[in-house]
Amino acid sequence: MKNQIIYFALAGILRIFLMNSDLHNIIRDRIEVSTALNSWKRITEGVYLYNIGVDPYIGDLFHETPLGLIIFDSIQKHFSFYGLWLLFVIIDLITAYLLGITAKYYIKELIAYDEKNTPYVDKVNIHQDFASITATHGASTFYVSAAYLYNPYVIFNCVGLTTTVFTNFLLSLTLLSMVKHSKIICCLCIAFLTLQGFYPICLIIPGAICIIQNVKTNEKPESLLKIFILFSTILISLFFTSYFVMGNWSFLQNTIGFTLLVPDLRPNVGLYWYFFTEMFEHFRSLFIASFQINVSILFVVPLALRLHKNPMLLAFSYLAIDTIFKSYPCIGDVGFYLSLLPLWRHLFRHMQQGFFVGCFILFCTIFAPTVWHQWIYSRSANANFYFGVSLAFAIAQIFLLTDILFANVKREFAVQHGIMNQANGNKAKLLLE
Amino acid sequence: MIKPLPNGYVYAYFQFTTLWKAANNIETLKHTHLFPRGLAEIIGRHHVDELHVTLTEGLWNYAKFGYPFYSAGPGVEISTWFNKRVADVNQEWKGLTNALSGLLCASLNFVDPSNSLSPEFSFRPTGAVTQIPKSSFLRYSSLPRETACTENLTPFIKLLPCDSKKGLATLLNSAYIHNTNYHSIGIHFRSVCGNSKCTKLSLELRQTVSLVYDTVTFDTPDWSTRKLFGIGLRGACPLATLSSIYVDLSGNETTHNFKLSPQPDTTTVSFRGGQENKYAIYNVRSKTAEGALSIATVHRIQKSVASNYPSILYANRYIIGYGQEKGSLVTKIYNNYWKSLDIVLLENVPWYLSLYLHTMKITCNGETIKPLARRYIPGKERKQPYYLELILRLPPHSVTKLFVDVDYMFLKWQEYPPDANHGFYMGPAIITALLPIARNYTALPQDGSTITSIFNGTREGYLVQLRTESILISLPTPDFSMPYNVICLACTAVALAFGPLHNISTKRLVLKRIEKQSFFLSILGKVRRVLGLKEKTS
Repeated sequence: MKNQIIYFALAGILRIFLMNSDLHNIIRDRIEVSTALNSWKRITEGVYLYNIGVDPYIGDLFHETPLGLIIFDSIQKHFSFYGLWLLFVIIDLITAYLLGITAKYYIKELIAYDEKNTPYVDKVNIHQDFASITATHGASTFYVSAAYLYNPYVIFNCVGLTTTVFTNFLLSLTLLSMVKHSKIICCLCIAFLTLQGFYPICLIIPGAICIIQNVKTNEKPESLLKIFILFSTILISLFFTSYFVMGNWSFLQNTIGFTLLVPDLRPNVGLYWYFFTEMFEHFRSLFIASFQINVSILFVVPLALRLHKNPMLLAFSYLAIDTIFKSYPCIGDVGFYLSLLPLWRHLFRHMQQGFFVGCFILFCTIFAPTVWHQWIYSRSANANFYFGVSLAFAIAQIFLLTDILFANVKREFAVQHGIMNQANGNKAKLLLE
Repeated sequence: MIKPLPNGYVYAYFQFTTLWKAANNIETLKHTHLFPRGLAEIIGRHHVDELHVTLTEGLWNYAKFGYPFYSAGPGVEISTWFNKRVADVNQEWKGLTNALSGLLCASLNFVDPSNSLSPEFSFRPTGAVTQIPKSSFLRYSSLPRETACTENLTPFIKLLPCDSKKGLATLLNSAYIHNTNYHSIGIHFRSVCGNSKCTKLSLELRQTVSLVYDTVTFDTPDWSTRKLFGIGLRGACPLATLSSIYVDLSGNETTHNFKLSPQPDTTTVSFRGGQENKYAIYNVRSKTAEGALSIATVHRIQKSVASNYPSILYANRYIIGYGQEKGSLVTKIYNNYWKSLDIVLLENVPWYLSLYLHTMKITCNGETIKPLARRYIPGKERKQPYYLELILRLPPHSVTKLFVDVDYMFLKWQEYPPDANHGFYMGPAIITALLPIARNYTALPQDGSTITSIFNGTREGYLVQLRTESILISLPTPDFSMPYNVICLACTAVALAFGPLHNISTKRLVLKRIEKQSFFLSILGKVRRVLGLKEKTS
């Protein structure tokens, strides 16, 4: 416990120190950190316009929701310069703490689940393997917090004062409410996230699965229906609250419309910007539709069917897919799901591409600012260089995700049958068929 | 009007005024006499109350040259007041600019809502109106990339009653005009009072040409109309009621020292706004009766570098910051007057520069100035520009700086102009002020139609509209040869995710025996299978 407090304090001091240094402005203006959706400069502009009586949604700098506008307005009014920094750091620390608690409950649940489904195969045979599956559980709870506290992506995100800090806070609250089976908080958080970024709407599926886990089988459909009704009620009422705040629906075009139609082509760590810069005009709507379907609909049902027994992993996969394929990703989003990795420590031994992915992510992190400087400032490179880096970054993340999911499949197999590499005395390997 | 400017420049200004005692409606505009038919039809069809189009090449230096008769920003500038009856102003605006683009052979068809504004303070109708209409009937646009060329001059001259056959217009030879440091042609249409009580209206069309020559490039400081325009003048246009050449002699004997030949018909002394000006007047009709007229100057002694009174208000604009990511737009306004001046500043920022209003800082001698009034409409990509209009009170003898942060946008590859790395031109800011004195002021008073109206034309204030420089912005460019590659690569990434996720969610894990077969044997087996040979079973 004492250790934890030290870790948290150290992480807080690190953030405050970076905010106070000259690096603050550099980090804040990095395109990997601040996107059109989460940049604090744009929020300030929106709040400023709102206060001088200009509708911020008629321009194209402000893309927060009207509720966000009200909240950030009051934050900017009531917090001084340093107060603002402190607020961001504290929110970030709370997020880390919530993630830690989530991990604790989740691991507990996982162990209980594994014990309940003890494999009926010969215990002696698999004893060693099974131990390795469960043994690391206790230690990994704090790793999640630590991974969030000291993840450079998350630190940069916090120092850059992006609104992703608040998004991550809501996400961690969502995950916690999932493992705590708290229906209302879960629905509320997801509704807020949906209003703000649209993509987290799919989190309602793992949320619902988690909540109904403890419900008796014959009451499950009813309970499921209740959750969806609750969720849509909250979501619709949030939209109407926004409408009453602004007095018109123009905010939809600039929030959800902006996310879905991708009019801003400023580079970021995602794939959209260069793809739609180089798009032939008559194919634009086709590709926007297919890309958006790819990120928000395509994988929802198959993964939900496959991973319904492990809703936390399902939520993790959704988060990762959203981050890789969403229209304006930032490293804060990447950092959030990366810091959940210690949850899957029991899968690590089944993973094959850890080294590869780690190297890729490391190189991309170094190359991105380098080629950006070459392109924009020294003009000795061009847009392709930066696109190459963002492409490699996306592919590394894809490999990471698929590797984890594949490892999960393998582990399920191992729990059932033990770790086998022989069939009928011959060397054999595991294949998906 | 020919006005020698300090530092060896000569300003030549042509004005052809057509006054037509008729009301502005479609029916009368269909039957024209001296008024150009093509323009009249366009004006009638689009219900235009007032129209100003200028095509300009070069930069007017307000600090050195003083104020021109008509201020014009670089490239094409157009502003129009539409009639109150017009229901859809945007539609008429589009029609008008397209029609004018055909009439003047200029790319006015590029004017669309994404570069048009309706400024509230900067523009007022200059003609006779019963009440000042709302600014929603006003459209202003500037296309700084456009170049003014021979192809614009020819249709412009064709609008004149005598064409280029006779009169002052014969002096407008494109080869000489486009050799100047600054040239601007303009068409200005408005309604003016037809009688002294203003019960009847007249239509007034002014066609103007402004040229600034640099005499330093000549062999001698002496200039003549033949030298400036290539030929002498051979008579006035028979249709003209007044055809005169005026030479401003005000600076003579102080900043200049020249003698005119031939002698002018008359010279007149004019007192205007605290300034004394002396003009030589040549009546073209009488002077050309016996032959071609060429007004020449003979400088008596070598000209000394003479100082001139600086203009009391001028401005600069530039962008600071390096790289193609972001920058700061700076507008610098100089007030040389001993009293404070109220000005209207119109910032017209194209949509591809995202402007952060909250970063706007107006400072003067280290102190922050608050604008007296502010209008702001944020820009929307591909739809509307950023419109910022400020009323500022400039302290006496001061330099006021306005800073505002901008971000450079990343455009779609097809939105870049040819030669994308050359950059984008950004139109000028407009500074409007009512000057208390007429120093370096040349423009006609609002109620005047001809150049004679500036003689002793003292009024309460002297309206100037300064244009700042247009700025060249280099936006970050994508690689224009990449569309197919990018589509392929990005789709590959999507496929890389789709494949494994599809496998994981649809397939089951099975244990499979590893076939121990060498590469060679497997190839051999395949070849045999292809050839239809029976494989030996082991």
